[in-house]
Amino acid sequence: MNDNFNDIQHLNRIVLIVDDEAVNREILGAMLEEEFTVIFAADGEEAMDIIEDSYRRLSCILLDLVMPGPDGFTVLKRLKSRNELKHIPVIVLTSEQEAEVKCLKLGAADFIKKPYSDPEVIRARVSRTIELSEDREYIRVVQKDELTGLYSRQFFYEYARTMDIYNKDGETDAVVLDVEHFHLINEMYGRGPADEVLFLVGGAIREFLETTEGIACRSDADIFLIYIRHQADYSELIKLIEKKVSAVLSSFHIRVRIGVYEKAMSNIVMEQRFSYARVASNTLRGKYGKDIAFYDPGMSERSIYQEHLISDIHGALKNNEFEVYYQPKFRITGDEPVLCSAEALVRWRHYEYGLIKPDEFLPVFEKNGLIRILDRYVWKKTIEQMREWRERAVFTLPVSVNVSRIDLYDEDMCEYLLDCLKENGLASEDIYLEITESAYTDDNDQLIKAINKLKAAGFKIEMDDFGSGYSSLNVITEMPIDFLKLDMNFIKRINEDEKVLHIVKLIIDMAKFMGVTMVAEGVEVEPQYEILRENGCEIVQGFYFSKPLPAMEFEICFAD
Amino acid sequence: MITIEALKEFGTDTDTGLKRVMGKEELYLRLVKTIPQNEGFAKLEEALENNDLNSAFEAAHGLKGVLCNLELSPLSDRVVEITEHLRAKDDADYRSMMEEILKLKDRLEQICNS
Repeated sequence: MNDNFNDIQHLNRIVLIVDDEAVNREILGAMLEEEFTVIFAADGEEAMDIIEDSYRRLSCILLDLVMPGPDGFTVLKRLKSRNELKHIPVIVLTSEQEAEVKCLKLGAADFIKKPYSDPEVIRARVSRTIELSEDREYIRVVQKDELTGLYSRQFFYEYARTMDIYNKDGETDAVVLDVEHFHLINEMYGRGPADEVLFLVGGAIREFLETTEGIACRSDADIFLIYIRHQADYSELIKLIEKKVSAVLSSFHIRVRIGVYEKAMSNIVMEQRFSYARVASNTLRGKYGKDIAFYDPGMSERSIYQEHLISDIHGALKNNEFEVYYQPKFRITGDEPVLCSAEALVRWRHYEYGLIKPDEFLPVFEKNGLIRILDRYVWKKTIEQMREWRERAVFTLPVSVNVSRIDLYDEDMCEYLLDCLKENGLASEDIYLEITESAYTDDNDQLIKAINKLKAAGFKIEMDDFGSGYSSLNVITEMPIDFLKLDMNFIKRINEDEKVLHIVKLIIDMAKFMGVTMVAEGVEVEPQYEILRENGCEIVQGFYFSKPLPAMEFEICFAD
Repeated sequence: MITIEALKEFGTDTDTGLKRVMGKEELYLRLVKTIPQNEGFAKLEEALENNDLNSAFEAAHGLKGVLCNLELSPLSDRVVEITEHLRAKDDADYRSMMEEILKLKDRLEQICNS
């Protein structure tokens, strides 16, 4: 019998027979006892007692309708009104035609007529009823996500396809919704509050679906899928979610992102429609102020293009497709601007796409961590170039290189740079490290530690893109930085907008007060340069002076 | 002692009745033996005497289920007949129908105790 342990169909089911006539009970018992464990009740009262005691183990109830005391109808109604009992299938025993309809309406699973027909038939009907009810129960358990009460993913796709079959003419949308920075909520507040957020988001989605035709599931941790009759606008859903979450967790401000593949084409398979919605949602990453995106085919081309870039990076490194360009920086504290350093900037001369701008590939590599490999490549190439310039006595300028946030988490970053410099006969004072302001947002303690280590090794630190992100001013009091590099968006408007000019003046004063050197990049026209000079900015960089140049051109233009 | 043969002679379709209890003759005969003591007969008789046709129907209906399950014709035939009249609340001769039923019940009791 051990063979049957893994097959629950062979486990003995318990069947309760309720009939006031002993003869009827015994006849049914004789029919069923070989296949089931049969227990009996002689009236409705006794039946209810037994059911209360052992409902978890009851597979089926055979219920006579006409009995003294509470009759079959009463028992059936009581069972169906109780959540924990209503799943037990009830087969009604009756000889009355009209009663059958009434019982089925009350929730009976089936009925058996008196006088009883062939025992084979009755056994088959009882088995079938139990099987159906167990299947339904398994589905009930697994079709829903326990945390949110929404469908689980597998059932969701199945039901979405069913929706399509019965809704041939209606237009539908595939919607992907995710909670931005959910992993941070998880890390900062722990599992409990994070689950609470998901529960509240799920509740809001369910509420939204009460008035609109649609279904939803939780797909991955913080990703929700909604398949819904076409909606013109989803901002109500976002408002509802934010309201629900902040009503319970007032200290949380969560941001949800919605990607929509609208008016889904019926020839596109269900999963693909949600991939499109996902592509749309991904375009919102990091874009503050915009939380809904509708898919357009260009997005897919873009994401395919980005996939190509990702798969090409290793070959590109091997084939030297990445080139380092240098943009000069000038000190403007004297009468004439004096070349004082340069910034190393990467360009990609792709074998197929030609010269690719950094803002096309850097964000892609930042997202998946490949930026570490590229950063190290650029550092190495820059240092080698600097050695070459020194050997030929062209330049001894310090050059700054970009450091991505993820680099700072590498334990051996500092050692890597020092080794590389040493191999080329250079020292840490020869290169500056530009760290973008947006790096200073989530885990400042660890960053301060990493930056202090670099400082201790003799590197100078430049905070890049200052004013572009959301870091508070006190970041610059906490960070041991040497240079503050103003975001180029300020410089763009400095000669047009009084307010911007005011802010820049304040930042310059603040930098002076803290003993930090002020750098302005993106200086494109003379008035910008003049304003910066008049207001005490010390170093400038931009097209007004020179665009970034390949090493050889840089050398030709700026060597004495 | 009650036997299948005696029941056949009484008019019972013992083949169908036995099949219903999976051919368990002993069980079948034991169940048949409980019939003469079934409270349904007394309840039916009393309800008819009181002219309470609703209670009479309930009692007859219960009896019908049991007797038909055991295929105890001709007794079951008479009970089916009275049940249908009671269901329709016909102006029928319930007294003589009841007498007929009791007579058949007595005969069955003799078979049971022989």
